[in-house]
Amino acid sequence: MTAPVAPGTIAVVPPRYGPGVVGGAEAVLAEAARGLRDRGHPVEILTTCARDHYTWANEFPPGESDDGGILVRRFLTRTDTGGVHRERIGARILNGERVSLSDQQLWVNDSLRVPDLWHHVLDHGTGYRALVFAPYMFWTTYAVGQIVPGRTILMPCLHDEPTARLDIFRPLMGGARGVWFLTDPEADLARRLLDVPARHAVIGSGIEIPGSYQPDRFRAETGITGPFVYYAGRREWGKGWSDLLAAYGDLVRQYPVDLALVTSGVGAVDAPADIADRVIDVGFVSDETRNNAMAAAVAYVQPSVMESFSRTVLEAWCAGTLVVANAQSAVVRWHVERSGAGLAYRSQAELTETLRFVADRPDAAAALARPGRAYVEQHYQWPVVLDRMEATLDAWLPGPATAGVGASDSVPGDGVAQAGDRP
Amino acid sequence: MTILMVTPYAPYRDGIAAYAVQEVRRLRAEGVDIEVLSPLPSAAQHHLWLGGPRGMAALARRAGRYERIVLQFSPEMLFGACRGPVERVAVWAGLRLVAARTRLEIRLHEIEYGPLARNPAERRLAHLTLQAADAVTVHTQREVAQLSEAVGLDPGVVTLVDHGASFTAATQVSRDTARAELGLDQAEHVFLAIGFLQEHKGYDLAVDAFGKAGLAGQASLHVVGSVRVDHPDLLAYARRLELLCRVTTGAHLHNKYVSDEEFDRWIVAADTIVLPYREIWSSGVLERAKLYSRPVIATDVGGIGDQAPPGTLFFGDVESLVQAMKERAQTTADRLPPAGAARQSPEPVEEWTVDLDHPRRDDVEAQIRRRVRSRHLGGPNPAGGEAGGASPVDPLLALGSVLRPETLSARPGVSQVKRLIRRVLNWELQPIITHLEALQKATVEAVTELEVARRDGDTHHQE
Repeated sequence: MTAPVAPGTIAVVPPRYGPGVVGGAEAVLAEAARGLRDRGHPVEILTTCARDHYTWANEFPPGESDDGGILVRRFLTRTDTGGVHRERIGARILNGERVSLSDQQLWVNDSLRVPDLWHHVLDHGTGYRALVFAPYMFWTTYAVGQIVPGRTILMPCLHDEPTARLDIFRPLMGGARGVWFLTDPEADLARRLLDVPARHAVIGSGIEIPGSYQPDRFRAETGITGPFVYYAGRREWGKGWSDLLAAYGDLVRQYPVDLALVTSGVGAVDAPADIADRVIDVGFVSDETRNNAMAAAVAYVQPSVMESFSRTVLEAWCAGTLVVANAQSAVVRWHVERSGAGLAYRSQAELTETLRFVADRPDAAAALARPGRAYVEQHYQWPVVLDRMEATLDAWLPGPATAGVGASDSVPGDGVAQAGDRP
Repeated sequence: MTILMVTPYAPYRDGIAAYAVQEVRRLRAEGVDIEVLSPLPSAAQHHLWLGGPRGMAALARRAGRYERIVLQFSPEMLFGACRGPVERVAVWAGLRLVAARTRLEIRLHEIEYGPLARNPAERRLAHLTLQAADAVTVHTQREVAQLSEAVGLDPGVVTLVDHGASFTAATQVSRDTARAELGLDQAEHVFLAIGFLQEHKGYDLAVDAFGKAGLAGQASLHVVGSVRVDHPDLLAYARRLELLCRVTTGAHLHNKYVSDEEFDRWIVAADTIVLPYREIWSSGVLERAKLYSRPVIATDVGGIGDQAPPGTLFFGDVESLVQAMKERAQTTADRLPPAGAARQSPEPVEEWTVDLDHPRRDDVEAQIRRRVRSRHLGGPNPAGGEAGGASPVDPLLALGSVLRPETLSARPGVSQVKRLIRRVLNWELQPIITHLEALQKATVEAVTELEVARRDGDTHHQE
């Protein structure tokens, strides 16, 4: 049995936490935990010993540690199942085939599992004021998030993907005390696919805006002198990189434009030979270098459909750069439509023409991008996001000082509350 | 020393797994050092496939490490992979070995009497195993008698354990709130049959009886559950239930996988729980009905008669179920509006109306409640929200690109093999993918052109 929980503690449950952890949901939860701590809430991190979400190897020691006033409880991962069922059933899920409930269960349990974390929450879950889980599809959220649903706040980070349609995730979301969405389109998607409880709100996420940008430094470091469009992230299946390459290829084959395609991140570039010299991979870069690249670019391209928040789009706007976005992503299209600081394309042909526009009229692209930074400042600053988190927590799971929550999964009041402000 | 509980376990969600989780929670709270072993990977500390003699032999090898083993006995878990009577006997023999190595408590949730009656050897081994166990527990007195007779066991060996001893409520909502959230009429008498959709649960009998009772208008019957395994018989049963409900006014099938909280919310919302089981040993649903003091109509099979609370109406055939439903519906008849009064129709669904400058939480709360109600009554889905403004091209866009599976794997060497396979097949697959994507793009563009032309036409027409 692990040590007991201080009254009123908010448990934040990311699948991974700590230095070297890469992941959007993990970053949001870590920032949220620090922000809530700074506002005087007792906060714990309940997480695994893993750093890498491919191997789930136990790289951090299990047990308790202090991270700047946040108690971190780490639990060992188990990956002793071989993953054969996960791959077999996962392929069927991706193909859109009907998969039985028992196979869905087999799929979700045939990878990472964290029994000690699960039992910690079984023992102490009702002692927490709230337990915040993200993202929906990891075992830490799926399995642990259903133990004390009356205290579970789910931040699903939902994409429009085949796994989001699985029956097994319905009780997770439908049973949660409340749901925090990152964007309106994500909430819309959840309503279409799952049972969304009445207590849900769009709370967004905060973006740290750098004090300054050094586009010239990026050019000096990389030797890139001409205009370019930029893509940062994983060059992999589902992220739209091949679509971007194809459209860019069409552009430079059809038009005599002076425009390079610069990319950073991980994954094979795989550019066709005839355009390979114009596709520049600067590798995995620091946040500072990425920000400078954003500022140096004529436009930032977001070709991914599966976005629940799209942090890089907001970072591009902070740098004053136009966003060219795939309209198939409801989230990115929503950002573009609300900010007015981007151009959304609906087909590869439209992407090609959009790239031509930014190549021909970089001045117009810069003008279009102007409202972007104000949009981020207005909606995606941590103080605003934390206000929304606190308001919903107070409404759905009042703290001991205000409601005297007892040791039960149930919480006083059936009042349904929704945050009034949209991020 | 540690106790080992052998059981299906969470996050799997069936009756025995839910029962085991509640018991583990209680024992851990009492300071008992307990570990769990489940037949499939789960939240348990250990997993071991137990569906045949090999699994049981492996369990026997581990048994000596534990002070006590509590086995949540179910035929599926222990005999699921047996290929005949000999293997079944071997499973019993393995279990007998477990009992020899440690204190074994067998908690019987269900047992198959057929094979025991047909095979004297299995009956003999079952007798020896149960006799050797430190404790054999069941949930009802009737099960004590049936088991004792079936395997020739001294009834004193078998003890009763309250099925609901560790059960805790998963919801605190009131009946009115539960009904509002589930979109149920506040005045109607609500009959509920809930659980996995399986023929032996007899839900079709309940629908049939409800139709014959002629209770539509003053009562409704809700069958809530899902198909756990894609077996043709189970899928066919679900389809049959769906058809039955379609042609039976007031009967509704909610073919869905619900959370523990929603499960309990349905029970709270109901006036009467219907357990029309054709066969069962004991019922977790019945225990949850007792937890919320909800009256029950049930068949008197297995141990239900002993388990059921006072006042339960038992039935033996559809006709007696019809009578029981009528009798129960009469108990809430005073909630209905006077005869001839117009029944209130559901409030119309409205668009989201949120003043972003001055949002009012109570307005939004009211909208949410109306939407929840509307959704469950089968009205237009307000959550979709975009139906009116949807473009014909949206479904095509939603198809996305042709997605090829990742070549990445956590298993050593598999990534390389996958990449090799991709290279080998690429020359043949890539042209097909390219053609498909071109076809999709062309279709999107053509539909977009047509849509633009149509809208232009509409505009001109309006002008």
